Amino acid sequence: MCETVHPSPGPSPFELGAADITAGRRTVLAAGAGVMLSAAAGALDAEAAEAAGKPLSRTKKRAYVLVVDGCIPEEIDSGLTPNLRRLRNQGLRFSRASSMPIMETIPNHVMMMTGLRPDRSGVPANAIYDRKRRTVRDMDRPSDIRSDTVIQRLNRHGLRTGTVLSKEYLYGVFGGRAKRRWEPGPIIPISGHAPDIFTMRAAEAMVKNYDPHLMFINLGDVDRFGHMDLTGPLGVKALRQLALVDTDRLVGGFVDLLKARGLWKHSMLIVLADHSMDWSRPDRIISVAGKLDADPLLRGKVQIADNGGADLLYWTGPKARKEEAIRRMKRICQKVPGVLATHDRRTPWLRLGPEAGDVIVYAKQGWRFSDPDPITSNPIPGNHGHPATRSIPFFISGGHPRIPRRRASPSVAHTIDVAPTVADFFGIKGSPKGGWDGRSRLPRR
Amino acid sequence: MLATGAVGAGLATVAGSAPESAAAPRGKRYFQHGVASGDPRPHQVIIWTRITPTAASRPGSGKGPKVQVTWEVARDAKFNKIVRRGTFHTGPGRDHTVKLDVSGLKPATWYHYRFSYRGERSRVGRTRTAPAKKSSPRNLRFGVVSCVNWQAGYFAAYRGVAARDDLHAVLCMGDYLYEYGPGGYGYGFDNVDIRRHDPPREMVSLEDYRRRHAQYKTDPDLQDAHAKYPFIVTWDDHEVANDQWRGGAENHQSGEGNYQRRRARSHRAYDEWMPVRMNGTTKLGDGARLYRRLRFGRLAEISMLDLRTYRSKGIGGVPTPVPNPDAAVSNPNRTLTGKRQMAWLKKSLVRKRALWKVIGNPVMIAPVSFVQLPGDLLGPINDVTGLLPDDGFPYNTDQWDGYTHDRREVYNYIRNHHVENALFITGDIHSGWAADLPYDIATYPLSGSAGVEFVCTSVTSNNLKDLIGAPRRTASLAVETLIKANNRHIKYLNFDDHGFSVLDITAKRAQMDWYIIGDRAKKNTPITWTASYLTRTGTNKVIKAKGPVR
Repeated sequence: MCETVHPSPGPSPFELGAADITAGRRTVLAAGAGVMLSAAAGALDAEAAEAAGKPLSRTKKRAYVLVVDGCIPEEIDSGLTPNLRRLRNQGLRFSRASSMPIMETIPNHVMMMTGLRPDRSGVPANAIYDRKRRTVRDMDRPSDIRSDTVIQRLNRHGLRTGTVLSKEYLYGVFGGRAKRRWEPGPIIPISGHAPDIFTMRAAEAMVKNYDPHLMFINLGDVDRFGHMDLTGPLGVKALRQLALVDTDRLVGGFVDLLKARGLWKHSMLIVLADHSMDWSRPDRIISVAGKLDADPLLRGKVQIADNGGADLLYWTGPKARKEEAIRRMKRICQKVPGVLATHDRRTPWLRLGPEAGDVIVYAKQGWRFSDPDPITSNPIPGNHGHPATRSIPFFISGGHPRIPRRRASPSVAHTIDVAPTVADFFGIKGSPKGGWDGRSRLPRR
Repeated sequence: MLATGAVGAGLATVAGSAPESAAAPRGKRYFQHGVASGDPRPHQVIIWTRITPTAASRPGSGKGPKVQVTWEVARDAKFNKIVRRGTFHTGPGRDHTVKLDVSGLKPATWYHYRFSYRGERSRVGRTRTAPAKKSSPRNLRFGVVSCVNWQAGYFAAYRGVAARDDLHAVLCMGDYLYEYGPGGYGYGFDNVDIRRHDPPREMVSLEDYRRRHAQYKTDPDLQDAHAKYPFIVTWDDHEVANDQWRGGAENHQSGEGNYQRRRARSHRAYDEWMPVRMNGTTKLGDGARLYRRLRFGRLAEISMLDLRTYRSKGIGGVPTPVPNPDAAVSNPNRTLTGKRQMAWLKKSLVRKRALWKVIGNPVMIAPVSFVQLPGDLLGPINDVTGLLPDDGFPYNTDQWDGYTHDRREVYNYIRNHHVENALFITGDIHSGWAADLPYDIATYPLSGSAGVEFVCTSVTSNNLKDLIGAPRRTASLAVETLIKANNRHIKYLNFDDHGFSVLDITAKRAQMDWYIIGDRAKKNTPITWTASYLTRTGTNKVIKAKGPVR
């Protein structure tokens, strides 16, 4: 199954987090209502002193990046999400916005916080074949992100940062980068995520107890219910619609809290998704493993990282035959029913980096990959990762005077635009070495 | 053929030219067919006129001298700020038409233009360049017209277009003129000719096509509309002959000569007489490719289609509007667009440069059919029997309904690449429609929509009430109800009225307003607003709007 069955070798992210706490490397801060926030050991004393010398730390500005995981743009107009719609209509909306390849959760969250494409951030997909460890695994280790994040940038300026991430692998990949981190719970075992009601409770607790300048929140229900929604292929999407209603209600409550605490007028709230969602029937499953294995050159020398709507193929045979292998992989996969396109990973516009393997195979709308096993590898109807799931909602709301009111832009916004927008909002100069790949979406001052 | 063409584009601003004096003739002697402009780009726009240098130089005559015409483009109506000027050589080889691409202009800017010959000036035309490629205009507003039959009445709809001051251009979706002779196609049930066509016969020869174009361009309302706004045009069938396809036409008989030659003559006259870039240029005789893109900043890109020149022969069988059960409408070997144009259309759809992918679409793409089966059920049935059309029994196979394989290809492309904001603007059908574009008509709305279609009604050509001789909003209502009940994606349908539409596009929504006229037989018939529908970005769904755009 995409997203959940590629555990990294060794302890899970939650086990690693628990170990940090047990070993005293992180301090647990009870925030009421059963919410556990944590900070790096010793950080509490250091933070105040560190902030004292940083003029930016006195700013009243607040930025909240709220990811409604897997949301489809038209769902904002479905009538199920009045709070999201109101926020969109009141602020600056991007009528076109796009997830970036591979249209999966981890890479796009990393793109949001780094402002960089995967060839620079090091995170191209949820699942990769790790050539060193010789296994397919999720990119859920803090060390998987090779570059600086806007969270760390703000930290260096003495600003308070916090992450409230509902999914285990997001918790893992962002690790202890923020000064405060929610220790998610309770976790639904199969989906590996905390329900939105708990996530939002944690976000509210973090606002009340810590009041971070930047808070990065992932709400996983819309995505997780979408993945499991057996009525999705019929167009009914019953579970998904319930999740949308509930998540929207929680977002409304969060905004009410910001207003009640006087934070809204200083706030920028970026609402977006990391990708959208597509549903496939059980008879629309693509499995290329058998086809590749039938080729004498490729047999036993190709590893596949299944990302739902995209397969990443890795040549593991001799270097000298790599180019021929890539040609063959593309040719074979292109003929498989349900395959939309195959790309040499080095295709410049993909910008995926070597972690993404050698060949990218995309599914058509209404199809999904299940590799290597056509039955068991990916039985869930809701998937993403392919071009049909590229479109996302993206709007900037909030009460800060810099946020345009009731404006729509025809420009295309991307997930990589979040970090430069946050940096621009706080007036933080400079950019990563080599520049941002995204751009600030706030109007120029 | 005489060698003629553009000479000497002007230079930078030339100030101080004398304003047009009241004593100056209004171009009635030499400039009898008005002025026009078209195909605006950020730095370019086509300007057009036709000169009648001698009494013998009648359109289509092939007579008259080669002459030199002066043209000027200015920022102001009084021509105090002339920015470009030059001369143009024309003659009988091009029917004394003048057509040139003026370059070096500023984006999103109003310009005024005029022509002069032997001291006489043409009327002043006004035109506007497209916004800069990377700009984000607040809105774009277009007049939309189609199906303009001289014999069926007066062009009040063009009067309505010309009376507005808020448009940026006019989209003409085809049937700019009709080929019939007097008595062939006129007004209402009895086919009365309110005005008679010239030449008084079906147009077949080059002279015929030229004369017919010339006649239409003497209409004062059409002249006013052309003088007020740039036009963006495509053709449908009647620019050549009724129900034309790549190898013939319903209204082309063997006694009328070789069809391909007839079509070439029609295209030649069109190129001469219309402010359009064919094959990407204003040069005559260099090709007849009409499909093209026009970009309007980041807000919209218009892809104008040609759905006649490359299409396979229609299946015929039963007359419109009888539902047609012939599975040939779904034969993958039949095409509406042609292979090359289909590839080009896909490229238009997937391009990210503009928010709205506006498709100038001469015939309706929304399915209108009966007895529909879900695609998942239909596939296995057709695998065995091959008997059923893909999207139900269509009532009109002259539109995309008669070529469902091409439509599926477009829809699948939209779906697989998650193309957003595909907006089809259509003419042809002499009625007003607003519809979603269902991926699977039988399971809609659960199966989703590929985009939205707005269809403008005819300027004068007969519609349902005219054909059955019933009063307005009587018999048609039953037909409209029947169609809408069987096609839930159709949100608006008006079979009764003539008029024009206004399309307004912003980064939040696209809205179409339908304006209707009274009796086409009366020159000063009133014009009123009747309906407005919109689609919000990213939704692919039509909803009713509160009122017309202001």
